Amino acid sequence: MFNSITLGQYYQTDSVLHRLDPRIKVVATFLYLVSLFVANSVAGYLVSALFLAAMIALSNVPVRYILRGMKTIALLLVITMLFNLFLTPGDVLFQLGPLKASKEGLILACKMGVRLSMLILGSSLMTLTTTPTRLTDAMETLMRPLRRFRVPVHEIAMMMSIALRFIPILMEETDKIMKAQIARGADFEDRNIMKRIRSMVPLLVPLFISAFRRANDLALAMEARCYRGGDGRTKMKPLKYEGRDHAAYAVLFGYLALCIALRFVKGMLPGFLGI
Amino acid sequence: MIRIRDLIHDFLLRDDEGNVNGTVRAIDDVSLDVAPGQFIAILGHNGSGKSTLAKHLNALLFPTEGEVWVDGMDTRQEDKLWEIRRRAGMVFQNPDNQIIGQIVEEDVGFGPENMGLPTEKIWKRVDEGLDAVDMQKHRLKSPNRLSGGQKQRVSIAGVIAMHPHCIILDEPTAMLDPSGRREVLAAAHRLHDEEGITIILITHYMEEVIGADHIFVMDRGKVAMQGTPREIFAQVEQLQALGLTVPQVTLLGHMLREQGLELPEAVLTADELAEKLGAIYEHSH
Ligand SMILES: Nc1ncnc2c1ncn2[C@@H]1O[C@H](COP(=O)(O)OP(=O)(O)OP(=O)(O)O)[C@@H](O)[C@H]1O
Ligand SMILES: [Mg+2]
Repeated sequence: MFNSITLGQYYQTDSVLHRLDPRIKVVATFLYLVSLFVANSVAGYLVSALFLAAMIALSNVPVRYILRGMKTIALLLVITMLFNLFLTPGDVLFQLGPLKASKEGLILACKMGVRLSMLILGSSLMTLTTTPTRLTDAMETLMRPLRRFRVPVHEIAMMMSIALRFIPILMEETDKIMKAQIARGADFEDRNIMKRIRSMVPLLVPLFISAFRRANDLALAMEARCYRGGDGRTKMKPLKYEGRDHAAYAVLFGYLALCIALRFVKGMLPGFLGI
Repeated sequence: MIRIRDLIHDFLLRDDEGNVNGTVRAIDDVSLDVAPGQFIAILGHNGSGKSTLAKHLNALLFPTEGEVWVDGMDTRQEDKLWEIRRRAGMVFQNPDNQIIGQIVEEDVGFGPENMGLPTEKIWKRVDEGLDAVDMQKHRLKSPNRLSGGQKQRVSIAGVIAMHPHCIILDEPTAMLDPSGRREVLAAAHRLHDEEGITIILITHYMEEVIGADHIFVMDRGKVAMQGTPREIFAQVEQLQALGLTVPQVTLLGHMLREQGLELPEAVLTADELAEKLGAIYEHSH
């Protein structure tokens, strides 16, 4: 039942994007999000879309694979767009019962839809091309300044990577317990929601007990291997910027500068480009 | 290598509010010595205190009374804690709950990273560890894709990468199928024979202890019997009284001997029994 989730799962292949330092990919994803709000015009979105398309082409990940992941959140996207369409006041375009769709709403809905899809595509491109380990490493390094404010950066990163390691194990276990309960007559497909929720209880209790036991065992195993927090710990695979990473930063900031420039000339753009 | 003197360990039992309302004596006055390079086996049925004893050797638990010395260091010396844990590595029962890394080589590197070694050294140690258990070809795999026996070998590699003097394996085969069990045992024996590492193998399968130099049998927190495999296997009744299943060949040999056949006191393998019976047959004809 969990195999259908492909949104953003690491896709193993070789590409420039795969080889980039994970830190730049985190920074780029964040700046891409910013750029989508900065641009705010058709011209801006065209530039952002081109940038994204170029990145997807560079990533060597099949487009079909990326789009399949999008299916998971298509419903969310549609709902967001409908909300924008009907709840924005303005010139009425058409009416569905008590709901009025406005011209402003239509524009906003389209913009929101484009923005959200590009954002999701962009961030899934990051996780598609970066292993979870490298991603947590990047987060740990980027958040290091927060240590001054007593944020337990190393611990958070360690928790993330342990969670990532144990999610597949716990999912498999859930599946096993579920099958065992079904064999004993539990019904997880009942139409009645209350009944369905009630049937989850005998599933969750053993799952929690096992998760705690695993956590206990793991803590002991880590201590036995001399784990004592982040201080004095070295890295087997330290992050190091290389030539291509500097080039990537240059491209990224070039793109961002273009988006900012487009914002300032928004009013002067011809035709629909300035909407 | 290891010296235990009059060790007692009490676990505190707590009620729902967290108040102590009793103790369980898991280790009751145990003294034993392990010389460097020995292959030691510790046998005992469930709850006899084997795991508790093992955790004392790695300074994961501390004596309630008595002393535990590892390589001349008292486990209660706080400044020696990490050195003790490095020198006495530990492999646990559940292969899933002791692998931290998301790919094999990263897990093997976890110990050396904690020791603060420079990056190049860590890679060298990882290579050594993987070579020692013959897992080089799986180094880039996710641990979730490995068999139970392979996972336990990864755990052993992770310990080896810390250059231990001694490895304590706490029922490393309990959750494995027969072929996984053979893999893990073979790895332990090879480390002992080729690298001269002291091995302490905890198990409740008697078949697994035949190759050991010395065996301790635990019962209710005490060392109930000790000796070479041959000495231990000769005492079939006592072993059965301690809740251990004696291997079928040994049992058969024991019964035949009781019937008056001239067999040695303990038969360890099927080949040995066949050979002895063959000799008796030749003799009588
Ligand atoms: N954390 C604990 N708190 C309280 N009692 C404990 C704790 N751990 C172990 N015990 C008790 O100590 C005794 C010895 O346990 P131990 O785990 O050492 O046995 P074992 O020989 O390893 O058994 P097994 O073959 O099941 O692994 C048991 O009676 C057990 O119930
Ligand atoms: Mg145990």
